[in-house]
Amino acid sequence: MPRLITRRGLLLTGAALGGTALVAGIAGIGYLSTVDVDGLEGHVDGESAVLNAFVVLHPDGSVVINVPRTEMGQGIHTGLAMIVAEEMDLPFDDRIRVDFPTEAHPAYSTWFNVLQVRPEEASGPVVWLGRRVLGEMGFIATGASGSTMGLWHPMRVAGAAARQMLIAAAAIRLGVPPSELTTAAGVVRHEATERVLSYGELARAAAVLPPPDDPVLKARSDWRLIGRSQPRVDLPAKVRGAPVFGMDVTLPDMLHAAIRHAPVFGASVSGVRNEARVRSAPGVVDVVLIDGRHVAVLARSWWQAEQAAWLLQIDWSATGAEAVDSAQLAARQTEALATGSPHDHIDEGDAAAALAAPGATVIEAEYGVPFVTHACMEPMNATAILHPDGRAEIWAPSQNRVTMRSGAARGMGWAGVSARETTLHITMNGGAFGRRSDHDVIAEAAYLAARHPGRAVKVIWSREEDIGRGLYRSHAAARLRAALGPDGLPVAYDALVAAQSILHSMGGRNLPVTPGPDGDVLTVEGLEKRHYTLPNRRMRSQHVPSHMPIHFWRSNGFSFNTFFTESFIDECAQAAGADPLAYRRALLRDSPRHLAVLDRVARMAGWGAPLAPGRGRGIAIEECYRSVVAQVAEVTVAPDGEVTVDRLFCAIDAGLVINPDQVVAQMEGGAIYGVTTALMSAIRVERGAVVETNFHDFPVQRLANAPAIAVEIVESGEPPCGAGEPGVVPAAAAVANALFAATGRRLRHLPLTVTETIGARRIRSMLPPDQA
Amino acid sequence: MVEFTVNGRAVALEGSADKPLLWALREDLGILGPKFGCGVAECGACRVLIDGESVPSCQVFVGDLSGARVVTVEGLAQPDGQLSAVQQAWLDEQVPQCGYCQPGFLIAVTALLSQIPNPSDAQIDEAITNICRCGTYPRIRRAIHRAAATLSAG
Ligand code: FES
Ligand code: FES
Repeated sequence: MPRLITRRGLLLTGAALGGTALVAGIAGIGYLSTVDVDGLEGHVDGESAVLNAFVVLHPDGSVVINVPRTEMGQGIHTGLAMIVAEEMDLPFDDRIRVDFPTEAHPAYSTWFNVLQVRPEEASGPVVWLGRRVLGEMGFIATGASGSTMGLWHPMRVAGAAARQMLIAAAAIRLGVPPSELTTAAGVVRHEATERVLSYGELARAAAVLPPPDDPVLKARSDWRLIGRSQPRVDLPAKVRGAPVFGMDVTLPDMLHAAIRHAPVFGASVSGVRNEARVRSAPGVVDVVLIDGRHVAVLARSWWQAEQAAWLLQIDWSATGAEAVDSAQLAARQTEALATGSPHDHIDEGDAAAALAAPGATVIEAEYGVPFVTHACMEPMNATAILHPDGRAEIWAPSQNRVTMRSGAARGMGWAGVSARETTLHITMNGGAFGRRSDHDVIAEAAYLAARHPGRAVKVIWSREEDIGRGLYRSHAAARLRAALGPDGLPVAYDALVAAQSILHSMGGRNLPVTPGPDGDVLTVEGLEKRHYTLPNRRMRSQHVPSHMPIHFWRSNGFSFNTFFTESFIDECAQAAGADPLAYRRALLRDSPRHLAVLDRVARMAGWGAPLAPGRGRGIAIEECYRSVVAQVAEVTVAPDGEVTVDRLFCAIDAGLVINPDQVVAQMEGGAIYGVTTALMSAIRVERGAVVETNFHDFPVQRLANAPAIAVEIVESGEPPCGAGEPGVVPAAAAVANALFAATGRRLRHLPLTVTETIGARRIRSMLPPDQA
Repeated sequence: MVEFTVNGRAVALEGSADKPLLWALREDLGILGPKFGCGVAECGACRVLIDGESVPSCQVFVGDLSGARVVTVEGLAQPDGQLSAVQQAWLDEQVPQCGYCQPGFLIAVTALLSQIPNPSDAQIDEAITNICRCGTYPRIRRAIHRAAATLSAG
């Protein structure tokens, strides 16, 4: 792809945030009040017209829309392309192709996720500076449910600017004022003379015109795409088995690598006892120690490499964690709740005093969740090559261009190689869920490529490596306390969560600077309950270290804290003798947006209608990623204790919705991810190592036990909010609350299952006999 | 030398008798639709039709395939590119998310509908045991019923 030109492009290249404050103070003066959109200039590239960083018109009439976000199933390529097509008046049909651009144009930067300011609301020197630095760094990441929030405005403006440039080109060609021209379905029209010019005819002339200073956005009443479900651009290929996932990258004469990581995290390789034997296995080309920590077997076929890797007899160094098991890890957390010195996040009013007041009705409960893992359907993989001229190329299903680049550099560095230039190709992702923002497999591929220069190397982790030697959502425990007033509603709320810091662990592996472990904002997501009226509020977190590598996992802290807090609210309601819905309604008295979502889901689920014995309904609500999401789970507990989630109702206010059917799909998939985790998922540790290995012992929901799901979108005046993660968030609490309604048993620990699987295909969702 | 057909084309594989069909398809024949997901017959991402039956190709050795007719997801559409009823239903219901598991589902459902043209939900639950980590199950169920209706209408 050609290099795009930027107006203020390279001003801050390579500069660190602190050192550029002065530059920003001077150079940024023009941008203090508004922050405009980068990359609006066009140019001609051969036969093609690059209208701006987001739109390229080709002579055959096809349109490439550059969507600099990873497609990992969430439909983002379609949603963001719709925004450009809307503003450009392009028909949304098969002439549109979506590309993930390989070039890291500053316009693609994910600064929204870091600065937490919507581009359209962004102003001021700090934002301007952060944006410049992140833009020049090529910080392009897909996560935190932020892609639509972050690109909604820039891509609208880019579409509008492109349309105006096409009109300007037509005005010159036809010799009429631009105001007499209109656009529709890919053409510019002069009504008075009935002359029509297609965008294709105008593109090259338009591309060299200056972009408008202030592109005029369409009025909402003129939208014909936004808010109307469009079929996804990637699905025709996906039903033919045609898309190229990282797993499918195939290069001439490629080597395939299988890999073995230490069973006890942190161990290094002290020796391979039978290297000669493994080297002589069929097809094996090399056996390579990576960074002293992993062993790779390279062969002409991955199957052969993996077969040979099974033969490896590796001695691992002692780390001191060899005796650690799940019981110890859980005990550390309980102890941390009792005796830690937690980080104070919020202390409003005087929760301690209200809880200690004589005669106060205090509700207190402790909750816990185990480690879990992502188990993306496409196992971890990456392909790398170090070309003879010193350039490197990497192909990987990745969520993050920065860690992809740093992984490439790190891996090459282990071999003493510094590539002259590294080109990154982000492929389709077979699921990601946060997992693919780590650079582990990318560094491995880069190192192996550096060891075999001129030859492409593809690393594939087996499922056993993915589940048993991978990355994990932290386990967590919480102690929640509330003092109830005379009306039964909490006058004080005191939340303490103990978990291992995500940012500390993730940053230690991936970032040049490791964030400190204390006060990790991701650890307390979902604990604050800002939408509930709580006069005295305290929120604290305690980092509990372990040898386990912790990583982003779809919805991070919300995935446990919302289970804790929304279970706890039910416990408070029960103590107050109140219905869980009515109780939440009272707590939401100052939050009309949340109340609307809660009421909607209650109506969908027929809240209050009687259910047969052994059945129950549970409700939960959360605000996350600027969306508000509520779910009602309906469960059946069989006489033998087996739990089935029969139906799940979900209402979401995700602000302005671009492609409604894909918000529905994210709620469906998120709910199943959440219900799976609530009922079935646990990573256990024995002798320092993860016990689970594959889907037989880390089971997930299948068609037979997945609930029926109904989703409704609640409209509000908010701009676009996040949708990738919210579907997961309330599910566990909704199911636990439904189990309480069905059985009178309050289960405070996930998974909500104790007994073992019966038969390979059964879900493990049994209440213990004494609780059934 | 083992000879069989893949999507109607004759293939002959030398020296791969003890290789699972999945890896022979992907590495030796360049047929990348069938996916590796678990390697242990749990996920179904690798499913292909062997003589019309849906089989996890990670569990079948090439040496046992002499004379077999293998169909992968790439072979479901008509030679002119027209989608099968199952593929079309998948598009109509906008089933896939990441899409990685879908080749296996499309194969498993094609086999199911050839045996039971109008399956009940219980029969679907029994027959379709593949894993989709993105959670497309509700749409898969709808798409199966839709494809069954199309096939029985036409
Ligand atoms: S890869 Fe064959 S069943 Fe999973
Ligand atoms: S669509 Fe992603 S695993 Fe099924």
